[in-house]
Amino acid sequence: MKSRICLILSIIMVVLITSTAFADAPYGSYTYDYWGDPVPAPAPYVPTRLIDGESLGIGPLRGANDLFVSDSNTIYIADSDNNRIIVLNDNWEVERVIEGFEKDGEEETFNKPQGLFVTSEEVLFVADTDNARIVELSPDGEFVREIGPPKADIIPANFEYKPMSLVVDRAKRLYVIAQGVNQGILEFDSEGTFRTYMGAPMVSANILQYVIRLFYTDEQLSRTIDFVPTEYNNISMDSDGFIYATTSSISVYDIQGAISARADDDRVAPVRKLNATGTDILRRRGYFPPVGDVHFHSRGYFDGGQSMFNDVCVDDYGIYSVLDNRKGRIFTYDGDSNILFIFGGKGNRLGQFNNPAALSKINENFIVLDKTGSGQGQITMFEPTDYGRMVIQAVSHHNEGRYEESTAAWDEVLKFNANSELAYIGMGKAYLDQDEFYTAMQYFRLGNKRDYYSKAFQLYRKDVIAQYFGFIVGTLFVVFIALYVRAKLKRRREVEA
Amino acid sequence: MEVLRGLRYVFYLIFHPFDGFWDLKHEKKGNLGSAFVIVALLSITFILRRQATGFLFNTVNLLELNIMVEIISVVLPFTLWCIANWSLTTLLDGEGSLRDIVITSAYALTPLVIINLPLILVSNVITLDEGAFYFFFIGLSTVWAAMLMIVGTSVTHQYSMAKTLVCTVCIIIGMGLIIFIGLLFFSLIQQVVSFIATIYKEISLRF
Repeated sequence: MKSRICLILSIIMVVLITSTAFADAPYGSYTYDYWGDPVPAPAPYVPTRLIDGESLGIGPLRGANDLFVSDSNTIYIADSDNNRIIVLNDNWEVERVIEGFEKDGEEETFNKPQGLFVTSEEVLFVADTDNARIVELSPDGEFVREIGPPKADIIPANFEYKPMSLVVDRAKRLYVIAQGVNQGILEFDSEGTFRTYMGAPMVSANILQYVIRLFYTDEQLSRTIDFVPTEYNNISMDSDGFIYATTSSISVYDIQGAISARADDDRVAPVRKLNATGTDILRRRGYFPPVGDVHFHSRGYFDGGQSMFNDVCVDDYGIYSVLDNRKGRIFTYDGDSNILFIFGGKGNRLGQFNNPAALSKINENFIVLDKTGSGQGQITMFEPTDYGRMVIQAVSHHNEGRYEESTAAWDEVLKFNANSELAYIGMGKAYLDQDEFYTAMQYFRLGNKRDYYSKAFQLYRKDVIAQYFGFIVGTLFVVFIALYVRAKLKRRREVEA
Repeated sequence: MEVLRGLRYVFYLIFHPFDGFWDLKHEKKGNLGSAFVIVALLSITFILRRQATGFLFNTVNLLELNIMVEIISVVLPFTLWCIANWSLTTLLDGEGSLRDIVITSAYALTPLVIINLPLILVSNVITLDEGAFYFFFIGLSTVWAAMLMIVGTSVTHQYSMAKTLVCTVCIIIGMGLIIFIGLLFFSLIQQVVSFIATIYKEISLRF
């Protein structure tokens, strides 16, 4: 008897131990469907690691503002309030801490550096914000040069230059976002000379504002701010050299207008993809523009207000993710701006943030820098789940033109998530290619994809008509004969009468 | 039988509006029963249009379909129109009675029924490329009904065309006013009710 109890207990133990394979994510993941309603989705990424200054053995991170993963998977952290740059290898071990550098024989330090960029040759650029300069350091941390404030006629004399974020393209041109600049991104050439502003967001003013202004007195007018373009707050570069920039200064009314109009233009764009001429070339083909949350309470409610992007991270195949500082969420979109994942949240548990400042990717994992996670800077690492991996696979196979693999992946995605409209559309396209029009129609209907449904339906209708053509013509023929005979009989009867 | 006779007259009326509306009133070709049947049919058309229109042309969420709302969206504007029309034309030397107005207005709405009902079927067998026809006929039914409404008002009240147009605009403003006063009334009643309830509560808690 005793041994049997022992056996049962040990079986229970084994089951309990092996069943804790996956940690639950402390957030509800979801996406938005065609109607703009949030629909639950499996967690695409789960938090697996938390790294802070203590665990790295270099003291707490204070006000850390930026995070950069170089091509060699070296992680750079701008520990702004400690005036230092921390360099980690991909095992999360400190390689070195850059406290300062030697310039012309003198020791110099940073002053609240807020942005970082590392080229593929591991050349480090630091936006040394409060020193009003960009510092270029060689891979071994030697000072190369500094790039000071822009000098040009169009820049006012009292302009206070505070570089916040920067990228460097392959031609060594610098694109810098500076605090309080709303004319666009500052472009410096490879010599470090200011060239021009690029990618200035369009000014948005609505009719109501114009009408209100008509009734203002001169004094009131002088006190209101002019219609100003929105200012960017962060910048990233993809592998093709396109610049992604985010802004959080778009009004909630503009965002709501763009959502309800399902806008596909760049007039209301919290995230932009800019080419070398500063034109927004982000493809916005999703059911809703990429503005983060589509359904939200108005401000004043708990958890109210639109998403406020403050970082963007670009993956292969145009897949990009934006960080919503207000609600601590990460929104991942594919190259056509279809929403793939939404996850994360605010709070103090693993996988939640207080003031997320930077988002980056190392291999397939997301890393998020939280400026004030429980009082100090910390980094959370997210690993993809099977579901998340499968979605990414489906999208990337499709972009590579490997449609069969893509279909198989979408099929797999549907087993995880019956709410995935993208998966239904992917399946529909596959059936359309295989000339199974009716099945394709069903899938497009589930994915609410009307243009493709129309295509499938047209072909299906053609099939049906072709199939019943003989029957239809035959019926018409019989009816005509019958009418003819009837008319004949009637006339004969009239003649006889 | 009377109702059926009235309904058959519709097909003459929509193609000959001036004679049609004249005879409708003076030769008693229509009746209230057939008018209500038309409004009921219009309600059914609106419900079916939301429920049964082909997927390609149905851009509303079927999960949120509420038949009562669809019925109200037909009956309420119709009632408001008739009341506002009567209130205004009584003051402006209109010759139509409320009964005439109800019958005229209902009959004027028939193109919406007889074009949209078949269109619901058609929308199930056409593609987006052929959508132009679909939207053309929807537009046609609306314009046709609006024109019948104006001609009907003009003939029933013996108005000139200019006076009818001005009157129509005023009626629409009047409909807005009725809604406003209605809401105001409900809001005030609510205030009064809550005031009395508060006093009652206060007194009952005190003693």
